[in-house]
Amino acid sequence: MFIGISAYNHESAIALVDESGTLINYYREESLSRIKGDKSFPKRGLKRIIKLHELENDSINSVIFYERPLSSFLFPLKEATKYLPESMNLMVHQIRNFNKSSLSCYIDLAKYCPGLEKKLIYTDHHLSHTLTSIAYSNKQENLCSIVVDGFGDRSTSSISYVKDKYNIKELWSSNYPASLGLFYSTITDFLGFSINEGEYKVMGLSAFGKSESKEAKLITRLIRWDKCKNEIIMDLTYFSFHKSITNSYNHKLKDLLGEPRNPFAKLQPGDKYFQRYANIARGAQDITNEILSEIFKFAYQITKSNHFLFSGGVALNSSSIEYLANLEFVKSIIIPPSPGDSGAAIGASYFGYLKSNLKNKSIDKPKLYPSEYSCIEQRDHIKKILDTKFRVVTNKEDESIDLACKLISQGEVIGVIISNGETGPRALGNRSLICNGSNKHSVNVLNTLIKSRSPFRPTAPAMRKHIAEKYFQLNPAIMDSYNSMNATCRSKKDSISITYPITHIDGTARLQIVQDNTILWNILERLENMGIEILANSSLNISGDPTCFDIIDGLMVCSIAPLNYLLTDLGMIKKR
Amino acid sequence: MSASEILEILHETIYAEHGSALEMLAACKQTKSTSLAYGYFEHAKDEYNHTKTFKEILSNKSYNCYVDIVRKFRITPIGLITKGYVSRKGYLIETMNLKDFIAYVYTNELLAETSFAKIKKLLGPNNKDSNRISNIMDDELRHHGMAKEYFLKYYPELQPWQLLYYKTKETIKNKTRKLYHKNIIFLEKIFFPLYSLLTLISSRLLIILNLTEYKRTDCNLMDINARSIL
Ligand SMILES: [Fe+2]
Ligand SMILES: [Fe+2]
Ligand SMILES: [Fe+2]
Repeated sequence: MFIGISAYNHESAIALVDESGTLINYYREESLSRIKGDKSFPKRGLKRIIKLHELENDSINSVIFYERPLSSFLFPLKEATKYLPESMNLMVHQIRNFNKSSLSCYIDLAKYCPGLEKKLIYTDHHLSHTLTSIAYSNKQENLCSIVVDGFGDRSTSSISYVKDKYNIKELWSSNYPASLGLFYSTITDFLGFSINEGEYKVMGLSAFGKSESKEAKLITRLIRWDKCKNEIIMDLTYFSFHKSITNSYNHKLKDLLGEPRNPFAKLQPGDKYFQRYANIARGAQDITNEILSEIFKFAYQITKSNHFLFSGGVALNSSSIEYLANLEFVKSIIIPPSPGDSGAAIGASYFGYLKSNLKNKSIDKPKLYPSEYSCIEQRDHIKKILDTKFRVVTNKEDESIDLACKLISQGEVIGVIISNGETGPRALGNRSLICNGSNKHSVNVLNTLIKSRSPFRPTAPAMRKHIAEKYFQLNPAIMDSYNSMNATCRSKKDSISITYPITHIDGTARLQIVQDNTILWNILERLENMGIEILANSSLNISGDPTCFDIIDGLMVCSIAPLNYLLTDLGMIKKR
Repeated sequence: MSASEILEILHETIYAEHGSALEMLAACKQTKSTSLAYGYFEHAKDEYNHTKTFKEILSNKSYNCYVDIVRKFRITPIGLITKGYVSRKGYLIETMNLKDFIAYVYTNELLAETSFAKIKKLLGPNNKDSNRISNIMDDELRHHGMAKEYFLKYYPELQPWQLLYYKTKETIKNKTRKLYHKNIIFLEKIFFPLYSLLTLISSRLLIILNLTEYKRTDCNLMDINARSIL
């Protein structure tokens, strides 16, 4: 068994790969701790994996940490020395908190699983990302891997040529602090959203902005691609993230773009400053698209491969994916369902597997729902909660699905907690809130009343493939991405879906093509006969919380939000 | 008290309430008894609702303030850990025995109620939020009562005076926690020059350190020593 760990920088996670190269379990720590963005050592995930799979130290071949701790500690620190004394606070903070950085992986592992620290090995941050992508790719040879994130353990973006899974050669990288990810996070911060959390809000907002606006044009001064030197050039005089603990930008950016947005102010189309913020978001999205396409062009030039793997936090930008897939030289782009750091735990565990002495090693494409769980494990435990506050309408699977369809057709929003959880961050049906995707009222209830989302953010649709082909302009280069909601897609001209509330103002939707034998497939199969072809699908949680993991989390959402039904492994549950 | 200080208190309260919601949710999942699970579930639900109420109050007080002041009052769940509202070691139920845990709930609910009374006063009389805070205070008293009831039922050998002992112990602990926190801030100020000196020395070392030697260009990443941390 091989245990991969990612932690300390972004959402932490743990992955378990067996000796036949199959991912058999995976948990994001936030799912278990219930703290969104939890980046601490994944102790709960580790405990659960050890218990469920009855692991002993002897049965574990290796534990793999997803980056080189000393590099990830030293590179930003060395950069900060250039800005002394301004960066003094940052440096003192980093040095004093070394025990909360990657450097403490060894100590934490020894604390929670004594003895296991002897089996700890390390891999490069961007290699972990690449290996995660390889795992999800049907083709595993002659690929070009592009990783773009905030900061890894030495670079902020890189291009590698994957000859095969044992030969992965890095050909180009961009060094800290020039970082497309950190640029996008700074704009996120400037627009009043939280870094590492609000980036997708910027993306949603950008659809309302105008590329030819003054603000969007000004953004081009911050970051660009140098075509002669083939590198990312960032004008650091506008930024502070590399020398300050509290500020990602400085007064110069304020002078350029005007007053930053108050994080507590409502943001609604038509408001006084809405257009200005939307234009800033548009500018950030445009420059991101442009730099990414330059990286892809350059990557194609140096690797000669037109099959791409794309990962790192920036690969979560679903709107860019659509843009990149339209570049004429691109044959295919594979993006793992969790392209950010939490997904890199999967690549780390495969690193251990590939480095082991086992024979005939092959990597099995991981399932979209790897987090092992069933509501049945908590059936007796929640008896009194169910008896007092809820009612099991039916415990038969077939009847539950029929009832779910009937309720959806009547405009109801349904919560789903069925068997294993998703890799995250996107809910793909097993931990979802769903309703009729063409019913404006239902989608509005889901979006604003249950989830308290800003009205400018669209809810994603889920449908079967033939329906997606009917309404949307699917791009064959990124077919796999549609299974995991990784890419946006344009509605066909004059198609009715443009008027649906799941379609964004710019005519795109971040659609999910549901896979066979999943709960959404079963529901949609029946709903299509009732005239409903598209579901709105959003993660099951309330604002500020991580996606639900177990049935207790689901019942809690029902208790505090206007959600009446929960479809579970125990049947259909109704709030009293 | 300045507007900013009131925002600061509301900001901390949100974390405290969210922290208790998570403590209760964890207790609900960990306990062996289905009826205790129900009790903790209901308690967690209340705490989530308190969190939501305080978030709304904070929002209403912040949206037309100067951006540079209110930026730092954004709520990021990860602050629960960095600010110490949830221990890095785990939830209380994971680290305490049941009896101590219930005693903890018993005392802290009472302490929470007292601190909300202070907030209510700070916001001023006839404030539209007053009623909402009063309702929350009622909830806290109810939680306190439930814990007391449970305590006397399952640990009958414990007399009310022993509960008083727990309460005093917890109050002292809370006070020392605050004192400790103040001391830490004080010590930080004293030691900052020392830390800065250390940082300056290490920065000298960092400047000479040539990290480009560890560049990966043209390397097969799969062949790099898996034991190396650099
Ligand atoms: Fe990363
Ligand atoms: Fe409370
Ligand atoms: Fe309480």
